[in-house]
Amino acid sequence: MKFAYYPGCSARSTCAELNEATHIVAAKLGLELLQLESATCTGARELRAIDPVGFYALNVRILALAERESLPLMTICNTCTLNVLDAHAAFVSDPELAKSINAQLAEEDLQYSGRTRISHFLWVLHEDIGEHRLRELVVNPLNDMTVAAFYGCHITRPPLRYGFVDSRNNVALEKLAEILGCQPIDYSGRTECCGFHTAAHDEKVAIKLTGQHILSAKTAGAKAIVTPCPLCHTILDGFQAEIEKDMSQKLDMPILHLPQLVGLALGLSAEVLKIDRHMVPASALRPYMADIAKRSG
Amino acid sequence: MTSAYAPTQSNLVGRLGQAEEHDTLAARNSRLAPGDIVAVKILRFDRAEDRSAYQDFRVPYQKWMRVLDALNWVAENEATDLAYRWFCGSKMCGTCAVRMNGREVLACWEAVEPEMTIEPLRNLPVIRDLVVDRTPYENKVASLEPWIERTDIYQSFPEPLTHKQMKDASKALDCISCMCCYSACPVIGLGDLTNFAGPAPLVQLGQTALDPRNNPMKVKRALALTGIFNCISCYKCEEVCPASIPIVSRIIEPLKAKTAQLIPEMAKHSLALRAIVAARGRVDPSALMLRVQGLKVFVKLPRAIRLLVRGKIDLIKTFLKIKTEASEAAGRILRRRAATK
Repeated sequence: MKFAYYPGCSARSTCAELNEATHIVAAKLGLELLQLESATCTGARELRAIDPVGFYALNVRILALAERESLPLMTICNTCTLNVLDAHAAFVSDPELAKSINAQLAEEDLQYSGRTRISHFLWVLHEDIGEHRLRELVVNPLNDMTVAAFYGCHITRPPLRYGFVDSRNNVALEKLAEILGCQPIDYSGRTECCGFHTAAHDEKVAIKLTGQHILSAKTAGAKAIVTPCPLCHTILDGFQAEIEKDMSQKLDMPILHLPQLVGLALGLSAEVLKIDRHMVPASALRPYMADIAKRSG
Repeated sequence: MTSAYAPTQSNLVGRLGQAEEHDTLAARNSRLAPGDIVAVKILRFDRAEDRSAYQDFRVPYQKWMRVLDALNWVAENEATDLAYRWFCGSKMCGTCAVRMNGREVLACWEAVEPEMTIEPLRNLPVIRDLVVDRTPYENKVASLEPWIERTDIYQSFPEPLTHKQMKDASKALDCISCMCCYSACPVIGLGDLTNFAGPAPLVQLGQTALDPRNNPMKVKRALALTGIFNCISCYKCEEVCPASIPIVSRIIEPLKAKTAQLIPEMAKHSLALRAIVAARGRVDPSALMLRVQGLKVFVKLPRAIRLLVRGKIDLIKTFLKIKTEASEAAGRILRRRAATK
């Protein structure tokens, strides 16, 4: 199974470990990834607000790059996923916009016809790999490791894009964690916001919000938090020291990227999955990795 | 629509993790049959005694029962002193919003659940039981002066307005001021930490600020008070809006665009990101931080060093702007747009 793969900016800078882990885990899963090297940023939240036309053009260009390869597009960032989905929706519903974007793309011999299927890695696991195959591939079931799923906003809201009456009804991550041998836990932060999108100009909102979520996961007994979004990861992991300072309390909560959790269950080591690159050490998870050491040793 | 742009619905219709079908009004109603008992837990509050406590009620289900019907039954049969607001009972007046099982709903429009905990809205002072004080919201809206001020001459009657020009303002006009979004907003939940006006006041402002006939200087005055770039784009407001207003994408984002035009210093982060993407094709987080925070960034030196140690920032990349296919494409698309504006 082959995908045009769009890692986004975060997985190529602050969360470079996510990109590396994705490539390794995808290979294990039998997914062939063609990384779209010439793709640009999707514009995060900023561009879509202040320059919607430029925003649509950049995103449709990414979809056109995938279409040129006749491949579905796989993303690993929530915000990128919503951006390309929104741009696709605008493109197919506004022929005038579609025409003007295609005129711009024509300069580099690109064209979009609206046919690229967009899928986040989380959905690829459920829809393209499937529960049955995934269970076959799990060689190191994670011994009931208690995991808190942190969805992040843009993979479950807005309602008109994803169709959730109540975003708390999303259980895709918990289902997956179960397949990997984890014990998913319920807590108040599951579908809450990490505050990433204002953190570049003012971190205090992100620090206050995310502190509550990590504490809730910890109180509910989570050994780790798993997230499908590198932006959430940046706050949950990269800001955890500031969060602890703000709360005057140690949290020590390891944060895993989704492919890393999958990789552990597939028998890959923490080193291969670059879990050691995180700001919060994952030493508390060692008991679940010990099996791997034995297996690979 | 020409066939070249035939929409593929596959991107917009989902499966596990992308959509759900079981949580509709009909599905909720079908969980109960007449005669069943609805277990209702209501958070009661008495301001005079400054005391709050949950009180349990067992309400007999009737066909098509709404949250409001359950509250009416409680008030008529078990707690005649229960305070709650409602008027129209048909999703028009916006007075009956409460939180049911942790989610903002209109009592008049929501089917009952077999077990429900009903609480007052958050982020507004509670007067008694389920009745909140709307004054903070009303004061905020009043300070934004949400009306149209004309300085130019009327071109003709009726005015030559197009649907396209009014597409966002007309969405804002669907607002019934029920305060569901205001209660759901996590940034408002942080109180005075920011000066963010919140979704409901911004929707009220959008009704006139997104109207092309309004005086830009007046719109500018209002936008300066909104702290609009503190919106974290979590879409919690959209999720609970009973009027289905796309609050983030059709109200807050167009208002942000207006702010970037009229008060660029408020939109520093957005403008910096745009410039970085236009120059580099991608976001370099260090470059973004330097541009947005300037010298203030050195206050965060300890974290920067920690990130550097873990290989999470790459300063060589930051200072060496390498030309790539991506940077050329982004430059072409974004710079030309800037030039034609």
